[in-house]
Amino acid sequence: MAVAVKTQNLPLIKKIRNIPREEYYVPGHRTCAGCGPALQYKLVAKAAGPNTIFLGPTGCMYVANASYLCTPYRVPWMHTQITNGGAVASGVEAAYQVLIRKGKREGELPNVIVMAGDGGSVDIGLQAMSAMMYRNHDALFVCYDNEAYANTGIQTSPTTPYGANTTFTPPGPAIPEGKKLFPKDPPQLVIGGHPAVKYVATASVAYPVDLMNKVRKALNVQGPTFLHIHAPCPKGWKFNESKTVEIAKLAIQTGMWILYEWENGEYKYQHKPREYKPVREYMKLQGRFAHLQEAHIAKMQAFVDAKLKAPGIPVAVPAPPPRAQA
Amino acid sequence: MAKEMVLSGCAASAQAAKMAKVEVICSYPIRPYTALMMELAKMVANGELDAEFIYGEGEHAQLSVVLGASAAGARVLTGSSGVGVTYAFETYSPIAGGRVPVQMMIADRALDPPGDFGSEHTDAMSCRDQGWLMGWAENPQEAFDNCLINYRVGEDHRVLLPQFVCQDGYFVSHIPGKVLLPDQSQVDEFLPPYTLPHPLDPKHPVSHGPQIRPDQGTIMDLQRAQAHLDAPAVIKEAIADFNRIFGRDYSPFVEEYMTDDAEMAFFIMGAHTMTARHAIKHLRSQGVKIGLVKLRFVRPWPTQEVAEALSKFKAVGVVETSTSYGGAMRGGNLLHEVRASLYDLPKRPLTTSFMAGLGGEMVPLKEFYYMADILSEMIKDGKAKKTVYWVGFEAEA
Repeated sequence: MAVAVKTQNLPLIKKIRNIPREEYYVPGHRTCAGCGPALQYKLVAKAAGPNTIFLGPTGCMYVANASYLCTPYRVPWMHTQITNGGAVASGVEAAYQVLIRKGKREGELPNVIVMAGDGGSVDIGLQAMSAMMYRNHDALFVCYDNEAYANTGIQTSPTTPYGANTTFTPPGPAIPEGKKLFPKDPPQLVIGGHPAVKYVATASVAYPVDLMNKVRKALNVQGPTFLHIHAPCPKGWKFNESKTVEIAKLAIQTGMWILYEWENGEYKYQHKPREYKPVREYMKLQGRFAHLQEAHIAKMQAFVDAKLKAPGIPVAVPAPPPRAQA
Repeated sequence: MAKEMVLSGCAASAQAAKMAKVEVICSYPIRPYTALMMELAKMVANGELDAEFIYGEGEHAQLSVVLGASAAGARVLTGSSGVGVTYAFETYSPIAGGRVPVQMMIADRALDPPGDFGSEHTDAMSCRDQGWLMGWAENPQEAFDNCLINYRVGEDHRVLLPQFVCQDGYFVSHIPGKVLLPDQSQVDEFLPPYTLPHPLDPKHPVSHGPQIRPDQGTIMDLQRAQAHLDAPAVIKEAIADFNRIFGRDYSPFVEEYMTDDAEMAFFIMGAHTMTARHAIKHLRSQGVKIGLVKLRFVRPWPTQEVAEALSKFKAVGVVETSTSYGGAMRGGNLLHEVRASLYDLPKRPLTTSFMAGLGGEMVPLKEFYYMADILSEMIKDGKAKKTVYWVGFEAEA
């Protein structure tokens, strides 16, 4: 029985000038100025190339991108519910397996890529994502993380940082820090429970070559892969829209975001600063943290310090569990 | 040569899916439909069926997987029962609105609470207005046939709609009956290979399901409604071809039994039709002029055919095996649509409804005799006293 496999070996990019000129995510969409998710979409699409099918769960990259009668996608794209990106991708991949096997489609198995926000990945979309990985579908699941339900007006998600002011976590006299919970860790969720996954990486819009190479490495792997991409949101995080890349860089310099690859059980780190700046440097540029008191910032610093010791090891949250607080 | 076998409804559906050369299957266990997936899993394991068999992580995922696979160009099958059917509800409108012709076999089961394995049409009927084709099988033979007929109609480019292919849990899904299995060549003659006008294919990029503005919404709703207006002609063609190729005598939308000189009739669908036929035979021997009209498609609702079939009677009793709590008729779903179908007729029959077979109860002969007595009374009185009778529970109603 013939089996549809990818034989592709997308070459890694050495320098920014070697990045291909062809665009597969093109202008004509309605994202905000300085949108981090739009920037990562452009880079992912460029890296993946023309033999690609995108599945787009509901989120900013659906609502602000694909407006009927115009589309920014030069490769096939289909909307999915915010709930089921992983499941729809599983079906597309399964269809190609059988259609290629039966000779009904020719050529290489396409790159099947889910482009989900944090909600569509590790909140309401978690079940579908996890099952796609468990079942060993040959597909890449990208979580572009802007750390909130931004499209619906900036509500907290499981990746919204501690202390953030969102429209569901407004600070007030009774709850001065706004968000009291500490976030989920998406790549660790994937690594910890999905033996079929062979490649997981984090990336950032601040380092486009690194991001694109991680997309290509993920697509060269046969089987499920996961990328967690930091995508700052000027509107949700309340910073000047010219500062998207600066904020993304500061996240890495302060340890708020760690760039790493996990391949066959081995961790490798990229763009690791020699010395971390205090998290305050990152937080002070963002209006979502403007209300925080010294004690709250210290709590965040303690959380980051613990996390920096080892991304592969769960972090002890330096706060009592939420029920005990209430 | 076609061969005769004795199969349950689930086994018959599995045989039909195999002969339809289904390519992607997505399973999740829930009784009683599960038997379909168990049959298909064996066929795939034995190499009799070349298909991807995907273990869905729930019914919502089942529908999502087959949506992706069908949109990519594969013929697909999934299925469910009871609360599984309603768990997937979010997906039904996007699939129908996306005009992706997936097929879902439903072996009916009562919804919770309380937990009840029994058959009841409420699970599927709750999903009837999302744009899917929908109809019930009376027996395993029809379960087999309806699978093929629905693929043919749903995948037709003039229709492009998903299909709920329903059978009563246990009464059809698990009680074996005679099934004529056709030759593969007959199935191939009836059912062309699946194609989609714009599949997800990197060689021909398209965007499926973009966001729209409110002023762009109505036209899309209208197109989905239009597909249901266009479907009847395609159903008629398909049934004519089916009858010719397989040697059957189906009528497309409503089937009549002993109605030539009947004054009254049961309006019914699914498994209990079989008991109703026996009841009618007995009632006829007692001189009661009664027949039945069986509904084959709930969606598209055959308004004209229902009106024509029922207009000749003095009284019609709609047998309801589903609930519509708080609805205009205070009982099930079908009487609403039956009365709406009759409304424009100059002379309408008297109508009422009978809640029977809920929770998976049998509908024994004596209950049909009870219903016939009420219909006789309505004719004598010249009016229907009530819109609903809870058969066997009138003391509590």
